[in-house]
Amino acid sequence: MAEPQSPLGHTFVPGDHGNSAGGIGLVLTERRDVSIVQVTAWRGTIPAVLTAIGDVTGLNLADKPGAGRSAGEKSAFGFAPGRYFVVAPSADLEDRLRRAIPLETGTIIDLTHGRTAIRVKGPWSEWVLSKLFAIDFSEHGFPVGFGRATLHHDIHANIQRTDAETFDLYVFRTFARSFWQTLGHAAAEVGYRVE
Amino acid sequence: MTASRLSKGGRIDRAKTVRFTFDGRAYSGHPGDTLASALLANGVTLFGRSFKYHRPRGVFAAGSDEPNALVTVLSGEVREPNVRATELEIHDGLVTESQNRFPSLEHDVMAINQLAGPILSAGFYYKTFMGPAIGPLRSTRVWMFFEKFIRRAAGLGKAGIAADPDHYERMNAFCDVLVVGTGPAGLLAAEAAAETGAQVIIAEERPVAGGALLASAELIDGRNAAVWAREKAAALAGLPNVRFLTRTSVWGYYDGNVLTALEHVSDFKPNRTKGQARQRHWVIRTGKTILATGAFERPIVFPGNDCPGVMLADAVRRYAIEYGVAAGNNVTLFTNNDSAYEAARAMAQAGVNIVAIVDVRADISGACIEIASAAGAELVLGHAVTGTHAGKTLSSITVQHFNAQTGHVSGAAREIKTDCLGVSGGWSPAIHLASQAGGKPEWDEDLQAFLPPEANQNWVTAGSAAGYMDTVSVFSDGATKGTSSKTKPKLPAVDAPMFDASPAPVFEIEPAAKSQKAFVDFQHDVTADDIRLAYREGFHSVEHLKRYTTLGMATDQGKTSNIPGLAIMADVRGISIPEAGTTRFRPPFTPVSFGAIAGERYGDLRPHRLTPMHDWHLANSARTYEAGLWHRPMIYGSHGETVEQAYVREARAVRQSVGIVDVSTLGKIDIQGPDAAAFLDRVYTNMFSTLPVGKARYGLMLREDGIVYDDGTTWRLSETQFLMTTTTANAGNVMQHLEFYLDCVWPDLRVHLTSVTDVWAGTAVSGPKARAVLEACVTGTGVDNATLPFMGIVHGFIGDVPVMICRLSFSGELAYEVYCGAGFGTQVWEALLEAGKPFDIMPYGLEALGTLRIEKGHVTGAEIDGRTTAHDLHLDWMLSKKKPYIGSGMKDRAGLNDENRLSLVGLISLDNQSINGGSHIVSDAAPREPADSFGHVTAACYSPALGKYIALALVKHGTSMIGNRAYATDLLRGKHGAVEIVSHHMFDPEGSRMHG
Repeated sequence: MAEPQSPLGHTFVPGDHGNSAGGIGLVLTERRDVSIVQVTAWRGTIPAVLTAIGDVTGLNLADKPGAGRSAGEKSAFGFAPGRYFVVAPSADLEDRLRRAIPLETGTIIDLTHGRTAIRVKGPWSEWVLSKLFAIDFSEHGFPVGFGRATLHHDIHANIQRTDAETFDLYVFRTFARSFWQTLGHAAAEVGYRVE
Repeated sequence: MTASRLSKGGRIDRAKTVRFTFDGRAYSGHPGDTLASALLANGVTLFGRSFKYHRPRGVFAAGSDEPNALVTVLSGEVREPNVRATELEIHDGLVTESQNRFPSLEHDVMAINQLAGPILSAGFYYKTFMGPAIGPLRSTRVWMFFEKFIRRAAGLGKAGIAADPDHYERMNAFCDVLVVGTGPAGLLAAEAAAETGAQVIIAEERPVAGGALLASAELIDGRNAAVWAREKAAALAGLPNVRFLTRTSVWGYYDGNVLTALEHVSDFKPNRTKGQARQRHWVIRTGKTILATGAFERPIVFPGNDCPGVMLADAVRRYAIEYGVAAGNNVTLFTNNDSAYEAARAMAQAGVNIVAIVDVRADISGACIEIASAAGAELVLGHAVTGTHAGKTLSSITVQHFNAQTGHVSGAAREIKTDCLGVSGGWSPAIHLASQAGGKPEWDEDLQAFLPPEANQNWVTAGSAAGYMDTVSVFSDGATKGTSSKTKPKLPAVDAPMFDASPAPVFEIEPAAKSQKAFVDFQHDVTADDIRLAYREGFHSVEHLKRYTTLGMATDQGKTSNIPGLAIMADVRGISIPEAGTTRFRPPFTPVSFGAIAGERYGDLRPHRLTPMHDWHLANSARTYEAGLWHRPMIYGSHGETVEQAYVREARAVRQSVGIVDVSTLGKIDIQGPDAAAFLDRVYTNMFSTLPVGKARYGLMLREDGIVYDDGTTWRLSETQFLMTTTTANAGNVMQHLEFYLDCVWPDLRVHLTSVTDVWAGTAVSGPKARAVLEACVTGTGVDNATLPFMGIVHGFIGDVPVMICRLSFSGELAYEVYCGAGFGTQVWEALLEAGKPFDIMPYGLEALGTLRIEKGHVTGAEIDGRTTAHDLHLDWMLSKKKPYIGSGMKDRAGLNDENRLSLVGLISLDNQSINGGSHIVSDAAPREPADSFGHVTAACYSPALGKYIALALVKHGTSMIGNRAYATDLLRGKHGAVEIVSHHMFDPEGSRMHG
């Protein structure tokens, strides 16, 4: 099977960057091994969709805005009313969700090729992401597991916090290289490693 | 004025030396010095020349209120003008120069302007350069002649033209409480807020916290006030729920409790760490704001008050206490209030020699008398300063008896030898941010100052910003405002004499006879006489006064000049100051660089949007251009080839054999749901519910007003799922349009929309050999005419990559669009090229794409320009008569069916010359201006298929004009040529090639 090409191209340079002499404040990775599927509920079918997501992924989501969970490389979170990202390292994720969620319950669209998953991990993750997005990244404003949909200028991003210092970002693929470079500039002062 | 470094004191690090230059001369100072304090310590008194009159000016204040000492900081070729020397921290290698002088600060030829004072008074420009024309002399012409000389003579620093090499960034912050200022009120307010567990941000514009405590002679809890402040700040900074920002000036207050601040991250350092921004622009969203911004000392206006050596009394104190600098050998204070005595006490303790204190008040408190006595200063009560004597700096002052009842001076003038005069005219709460937040400031008769307006958002002022002027009250107010708790806060013990905070209501000393100029606004060279002149000329309102004289409109926003200026206007109008009113402060509180506002976008204005095949394009000689945010190949140029030669070659290859073009940029929207087909019937003018699964259809959308909105093909993937394509430029707008209708107009429809533009890589394969190319590389499906008819869709593989292929044509040739997952875009693109090698397949860019569509008369955004109807574009056949749709109710308005409307035609150049896009269509054979235009060219090219220059145009009576001769005229670019008006279907009008 052909390997999908990363949109980051020559800008993805593994190694230490920026002010790394002062320590590594962040580790940036592109998560290339996950499927990204969007599930959307109809009005009144959110509980059924959440149950189905739980059945497929084992991640039980609360029915409240932005709620989500993650376990290992699997994650799910809401980012708009009735809209969820379900992410897992399995190629048949879309099929399994489609089987669990009939059209009467919701719709499924596989966005794996259309979104680039970037992981931002490290003690400076809140600081660096706050340079780019006008949302509150503190843990009380953005609890672990929760998701957000936000913008950096023209670049839309869905963001999930997976632990105290880790955020998974999903940006539109065609903007991903530009965003990756901007992210690198923002992270330079704290030193960052690309893995 | 002979300033010098005191033998001790200050928070400078005397063990270390910092070397810098000013006007090319080397100086040294210590870490902790500002440029102003270091230059004063080196005996420099002349800092710059004034805006209009080029008068010599020295340092006047010690902080952000400085009006005079503006300098330019040089860093290689980069110039940063108008930096306040009073805030500029020195570092090794700092290079600075003075401003607004030629050839040197000492010898400035434009100082001759001082002689032209009466001419250069308020309203000079309006009077001189506006007026009736007299013969050939029009005032605007005179202005145009003189403007360059005036601009050269006036003004502040000169901006450089070299690009700024620094980088900047933005920071978005959220907190429960923002405390602005870290004087005694700010520190206690922050402490009280932090104790409640709130998330607190503290912003201090200076390098160290403490505010007024830094230059205080008071003892707090038995310790030096500055030490107490340092320890309190350190304790606060160590709390987990507190973010303590120094060198951060909060400069804007906006609705929703959003405040903006500028942090100096590294521009005070000789060397920056890698990746460190120069400045950071903070946007702070807070639940509550505590404005502990302190108060600004204001001067008293008197003749000769602008010479070097005349300073604010508090500034003289701060240089002594904070920097260990005596601003003069023999300092005199001139005051209307008690705070100058507290300053005298502190200065005397620091070792400053105070020769006299001149007070307009005849009676002062015993505490003040004691301080003057202890300092060894002569008390000159009931007197005022009525003149100064200075060369480049102050040498003496004259004082006369002052009648506090009449405000007049009288009697014999007495001269006092002094080289530094510290002036105190009372204190004005720093209400700038509160004023920005809204509301009308309130006049306080006791303080003779405006207090903050009533809060209209969740903010409070605390301490001297709220009108409390003694440290005990300030502490109490700060601690109280920091929390909603009713518990009485425990306050630090303050050991200091109590003073009366009320000044005598004296703002200006008017000489009995014509005397020296008395300046109100130093930075804009506005004098007291200018204000009186404005009154005489009818500019009575403070808003008119401000604009006519430019009072308070300089970079310092009139921090030292507003109240004296208003007081003078109120006096001449015979009304009180509150009756005269005040203007509203606007952002920024202190100047902000554009780089900081641009933040991370400086040098990289907008993101770049790249297709999955972008790297391939660049590696294969594509010349790209920006289409919105997209970077798209224009041509794939060979060496020495012009753009026209390249696109003609590419378009010819498509017509003759086969070519491929990257169409990944087309907008793509996934439409799913039980009502998806019904939804499309409503948004498109033609029917989609009848479209079979596995087929695509060209669709047209109108706006509500009947004008064409967008077009594209939509593919039916299942009974309940469609893939809509839109024009590249309009993708976002169409998405919003559809979402609006689903959310607001038809919420009953069960349809979900998702942008999938980025999911798919798209390649169009066009030309007579297109099918042969697919046959060579596609597996899992046939692509013959029966399996894949026009507008049919099949699913197959190229290599092991799944692809979806739709047979449709924009070029007019046999053509297919091959879609695959974006991550496989380059593999599929290369596989198609490989399969096409036997047919000399050629990639083509947007220019060739445009050429092919112009030949065919297919429309794009150039024709769907927000003004054209379906009828104008000959697309009436797409307007269903069987159903309503968006725009159907309005499309038949008389104006949209007027026979005089422009409609789409083709043009063929008759002189074998190219036709410029945008040319007007006229009937005159000779170019003339103005021409009677009856249309315009929307797109033009050389057609390799026709061997002619052709164009599409929108022309009045378009269809009936076919066969006529006209002229395409572009006077702007000097082009005028004959054209024949033809059908817009200029090539293969029957469509036999794409159906073949």
